[in-house]
Amino acid sequence: MTAAAGTLASPARPPGAAAPEPGAAGRGRARRPAVLIAVSCLVAGALALPLVFLLIEARGVGGSDLRRLVFRSLTGELLWNTVRLTVVVTVLCAVIGTAAAWCVERTDLPGRRVWAVLVVVPLAIPDFVVSFGWNSLWTWVQGFRGAVLVMTLAVYPLVYLPVAASLRSADPGQEEVARSLGTGRVRAFVRITLGQARGAILGGCLLVALVLLAEYGAFEILGYQTFTTEIFTEFDNFGFAAACALALVLVLLSLLVLTGEGLLRGKGRVSRSGPLAQRKAPPLRLGRARWPALAGFAALALLALGVPVWACIYWMIQSRAPAIAGGANVSLLDAAGHTALYGATAAALATAMAFPVALLAVRHGGRARRFLERSTYLVLAMPGVVIAFALAYFTEVYGLRFLSGSTALLIACYAIMFFPLALVGVKASLARAPVRLDEIARSLGQRRLAVLCRVTLRLAGPGLVAAFCLVFLSVVTELTATLVLIPTGAQTLATQFWAYEWSLSYGQAAPFALVMIAVAALPSYVLGRFFDRSAQAQ
Amino acid sequence: MRQLAITGLCKAFGAHPVLTGVDLTVPAGSLTAILGPSGSGKTTLLRLLAGFERADAGMVTIGDTVVDGPGVHLPPERRRIGYVPQEGSLFPHLSVAANVGFGLPARQRRGGAVAQLLESVGLGGLGKRYPHQLSGGQQQRVALARALAIRPAVVLLDEPFASLDAHLRASVRADVQQIFRQAGTTAVLVTHDQDEALSTADRVAVLRDGKIAQCAAPQDLYARPVDAELASFIGDANLLTGVLGAGVVQTILGSLPVDPGGTAVPPPGPVTVLIRPEQVELRAADGSRPADGGGNADGSGRADGAGQADGGGRAGPAAAAGPCCLAGRVVSYGYHGHDAVVYVQPERDSGGGAIIVRTLGGRDLPPGSPVTLQAHGPVLAWSRDG
Repeated sequence: MTAAAGTLASPARPPGAAAPEPGAAGRGRARRPAVLIAVSCLVAGALALPLVFLLIEARGVGGSDLRRLVFRSLTGELLWNTVRLTVVVTVLCAVIGTAAAWCVERTDLPGRRVWAVLVVVPLAIPDFVVSFGWNSLWTWVQGFRGAVLVMTLAVYPLVYLPVAASLRSADPGQEEVARSLGTGRVRAFVRITLGQARGAILGGCLLVALVLLAEYGAFEILGYQTFTTEIFTEFDNFGFAAACALALVLVLLSLLVLTGEGLLRGKGRVSRSGPLAQRKAPPLRLGRARWPALAGFAALALLALGVPVWACIYWMIQSRAPAIAGGANVSLLDAAGHTALYGATAAALATAMAFPVALLAVRHGGRARRFLERSTYLVLAMPGVVIAFALAYFTEVYGLRFLSGSTALLIACYAIMFFPLALVGVKASLARAPVRLDEIARSLGQRRLAVLCRVTLRLAGPGLVAAFCLVFLSVVTELTATLVLIPTGAQTLATQFWAYEWSLSYGQAAPFALVMIAVAALPSYVLGRFFDRSAQAQ
Repeated sequence: MRQLAITGLCKAFGAHPVLTGVDLTVPAGSLTAILGPSGSGKTTLLRLLAGFERADAGMVTIGDTVVDGPGVHLPPERRRIGYVPQEGSLFPHLSVAANVGFGLPARQRRGGAVAQLLESVGLGGLGKRYPHQLSGGQQQRVALARALAIRPAVVLLDEPFASLDAHLRASVRADVQQIFRQAGTTAVLVTHDQDEALSTADRVAVLRDGKIAQCAAPQDLYARPVDAELASFIGDANLLTGVLGAGVVQTILGSLPVDPGGTAVPPPGPVTVLIRPEQVELRAADGSRPADGGGNADGSGRADGAGQADGGGRAGPAAAAGPCCLAGRVVSYGYHGHDAVVYVQPERDSGGGAIIVRTLGGRDLPPGSPVTLQAHGPVLAWSRDG
């Protein structure tokens, strides 16, 4: 696995990032990793572009117009819709994701390996396909309740993944010590296990909340109005000023979520002090509780995975149209090709951009450097629609015609949007490659580059692949920004699906959804398998 | 096999100085232990030697090569220093064999060299295992084999035995010693365990206040520490007050000859005297030695004392006339099997509280038992005002 991971990860390493990295690996702490800092600053700068563009645009609109557009009843309505949905779904995801992760990682749940994969696969199903599946089969799935149901099922893996990873790497000794100090099983779980996973849970919740703030397609189908859907509508109807005003509010909202998470997280940094080659926790025996647990997992898989997939198959059969034939076939292949190309390129770019920033943050403490890393999280406050909107508008208005409507712009947009995902993955992976091992490798006569390849990347490799896969998945299932920035004449699976769905041609839309799931399922499978493997043995 | 020489090595972390001028020479092929309490900068010293950190000042040479010096800082990979960290720090993604072969050129990794190295650390046949499948001691040995694989000029070991349990520690230590002797490797071992340092190393350097306080063979270090503080750091010590005359020091335990071969003998006057616990002989008040279980006749001990007193010249008060008997009562008796450590409170005030005595096993002496003490020179003395 590690070998495969290493090769898979290698395209993610840009020539530019390779140079600064080893400098960081072995030098004394007193030395400033100047190149690394410079590269990280460049990355941070690139990430800040959309926000800068948005602010320039807002200036163009003018203060009084902005105020008028912000302070109207529509804004309040959108705010209420957005906030209550975000809160409810985030809480549900936290509970489901954490419980599932704990069962898979810490108990003797039958078929843990299978569940570990099945639980992650819904990540491969775009939110708008889940939404389409439910809504097309049962029209009562709409509005607030529909949105809660659909979004919870679509995004809970965002909590599951980090929590599972954190539970896996957590020191089982702590829980045992707590037990020996007279803490009951339940309290030990709450105080120690959840405590260890706290950062991961919060991180997952943050991602969920931000996805909800940025979601467009699913809500459009469910007829649920949020900031993002409204921004999109305004942008589509050339209401740039209104789109800009709403975008500013949405960014502020996202910033609020980010700050809240930061405050909740506090200073509690979980660090492992034990040796790397550590003991694994003996799985907890579920006993009779295994039946409800199994039922829960089955229900989760059925609702999150079964319903959308079944809906697609159902509509394909229903339409009886020769969906996979003739012209449709070509466009399906064509769309899949575009999707894969965009996904792979953007994932490689995002992972490569994340590497120096993560390295700086993980291996070189210091306030300034941590600030640099935190600043890149600002992108999180920029929903895809806002980023795409800012990039499209800016290149259009400020004469960067060669960029506007180009594939490069779309890729850049993806890379910026999903940079935080990549960063989370890369950071986690680098934490598994302690600098101590690099030092040892160097004292054994290995040059920096060799150390990078043979130790750092090998240890970080699985995590880098995970980061790559996460971004790839996200690009494949991305709709909003793609709709805004897609080069003329090109179609991705998502946009083609959307076109058909929009015209209520469910039968023709369905195969695109299925191919999309298939394309995205591969990295999902790799993700699940990777986590499963590393849970088994390194 | 190269000599390692360190001169004036300094390192501070921020405003906190850790090393303030370390001078040390490790002869080629020797095993030198650096002994110091926790937090004395031992690990920092090793990290500087390995090239992981940059020294603020000073020079390090290995053989004829300056690896650290003014304007020189050889990166770790060019130093040929084998580093065995405290936790072993094996590469978790590599098998044992791959760990050992890590530093070898690609062609040699699969050859017999790795198997042979594993054999030499007593882990033959475990090459396919992964680090997490090994015990702590085994991981430590793999780390050692990994370091030795590159045929290093110097091997650095950071508390290599600290994580092992006692019986394992002794055997691993002996193995390591054997391995180094055979390979003729120059090795530096860092430890806070004086037993380990004294029993393993050819030379022991004591790191104190960021400097090497003394570097000597274990026997010399124990027998002739440079000052009183060091004396009590290395092993148990009775530090008594005394008055130095011509080659003889007068203490509560009588007048004892001063070791002429020791460190510079101080000028006559008030001194601090070092008497090791095994230099004191203990007898039960009835005159029998606890170690002998009463094998000695009652009179013989006294006769000895008397004879010595005669040899010491004219006897005035007992204290002035050579080694004599000092009466006291047992405070505590710690039995260790092969020997016993007895704390005795002298009936006359010694100025230093209880006197520590080491005896061979023997019979039980409950607290409060009356005993007599007799010391045997030569002893070390340092000026009290110095």
